[in-house]
Amino acid sequence: MNWSAKHRPEATRPATGAAAVRPGPTPSAVPSGNLRISNGLKEFLWLISDVPHGRVLDLGPVWQSTVSFFVDKGYRVSTEDLLRTWKDFLAAEEEGFRSAPVGADALRISPSVLADKFLENALQYPERSFHGVLAWDLLDYFDPEVAPRLMARLSHVLHPGGAMLAMFHSRPAERFHRYRVVDSQTVELLAASTIAVHSHVFQNREILGLFGEFRSSKTFVGRDQVREGLFLK
Amino acid sequence: MWRKPSEGKPSSEPDNLPVSAPIASQPIDPIPASRVPSQVQAAPSAPAAVTAAAPVARATSKISSGLKINGELSGDSDLYIDGEVHGKIRLGNTRVTVGPNGRVQADIEAREIMIDGNVEGNLKASESAHFGASSRVSGSVLTPRIGIDDGARLRGKVETTPKATARGSSATAKGRESADLQPVPASAAEGE
Repeated sequence: MNWSAKHRPEATRPATGAAAVRPGPTPSAVPSGNLRISNGLKEFLWLISDVPHGRVLDLGPVWQSTVSFFVDKGYRVSTEDLLRTWKDFLAAEEEGFRSAPVGADALRISPSVLADKFLENALQYPERSFHGVLAWDLLDYFDPEVAPRLMARLSHVLHPGGAMLAMFHSRPAERFHRYRVVDSQTVELLAASTIAVHSHVFQNREILGLFGEFRSSKTFVGRDQVREGLFLK
Repeated sequence: MWRKPSEGKPSSEPDNLPVSAPIASQPIDPIPASRVPSQVQAAPSAPAAVTAAAPVARATSKISSGLKINGELSGDSDLYIDGEVHGKIRLGNTRVTVGPNGRVQADIEAREIMIDGNVEGNLKASESAHFGASSRVSGSVLTPRIGIDDGARLRGKVETTPKATARGSSATAKGRESADLQPVPASAAEGE
């Protein structure tokens, strides 16, 4: 998959009338109600469109609409609610710590050590298992020490040429949302009970560092200042 | 400019099949009619034979809460699990329902699979699979049609397969379709 080599029907469409159709992202990348026009999703679908019966990993909760959307297009979908799994993991660790006898080897461990332990059971897929990963905004909710380890694993399971869609808030998110695909350029934001607090606002250079193993990236900034990043491995 | 998007909880229709015996040697209660999901009506006590004039429902066996079964379950009776099952469940032409209290650590193979409890294992449904809001599933799902209620938790792979064509008339198949399960186009139905 290659951004420059792929044919873009939109970019070559002639302008009609006074309002020229401009190539590139749809200008109205702004939420309408709970719906969000997502240029990132549109681009993501375009990038994985070359792979017949490709495999997509959704790191959010499982939704009928998202699964149906991809299955109807011939993709195989895997879901793993990573944030929920992380929360459950932390709760179990906390419980283990509390139940450990005083003086036992129950010292609190660093986030990076926790991350390594977490990844012993999470994201257990063979190398190059997926052609696309929908990470939504979950990286904002992980400790900055944990995110790089997650990214390393995600990069491992992503096929070369595969794409990842991630979102980054420019300020701490006011509400915790989940995302589901409505159509090829629309995602629905569903307010959900907070299972994790917003951990970190990533700067652009941090994002680039996080995706250092990827060969190219493209970012769309919405009027709500949410940055949709599309990363090509 | 981009691909067009396109987007069913299986209603259950009793099959006109003879009532079968419970599928396991452990005590399995016939499920009370009031607790049988959807439209499946259980026979309170299994009749010895079914006459042609009487409306017939497929027997639903129940593994009640508190029961624990280790091993392989097979047969041709619908099964409702509200207890624990470890092993393997192979009920090819039937419906398997895991109730809210059900805990299953087994691969499940059935015509219809409906989950409201906890399942760790791979699911293979020849007709449809449905995950209720309280379902917790860890494993891969192989089915022609899938229904997922909001709140369901699935950790694993969803893959579609062509619907089995050898069994049942098209009218029967149509009758089982409902709103929230999406038929999968043939183009999407391809396995690994």
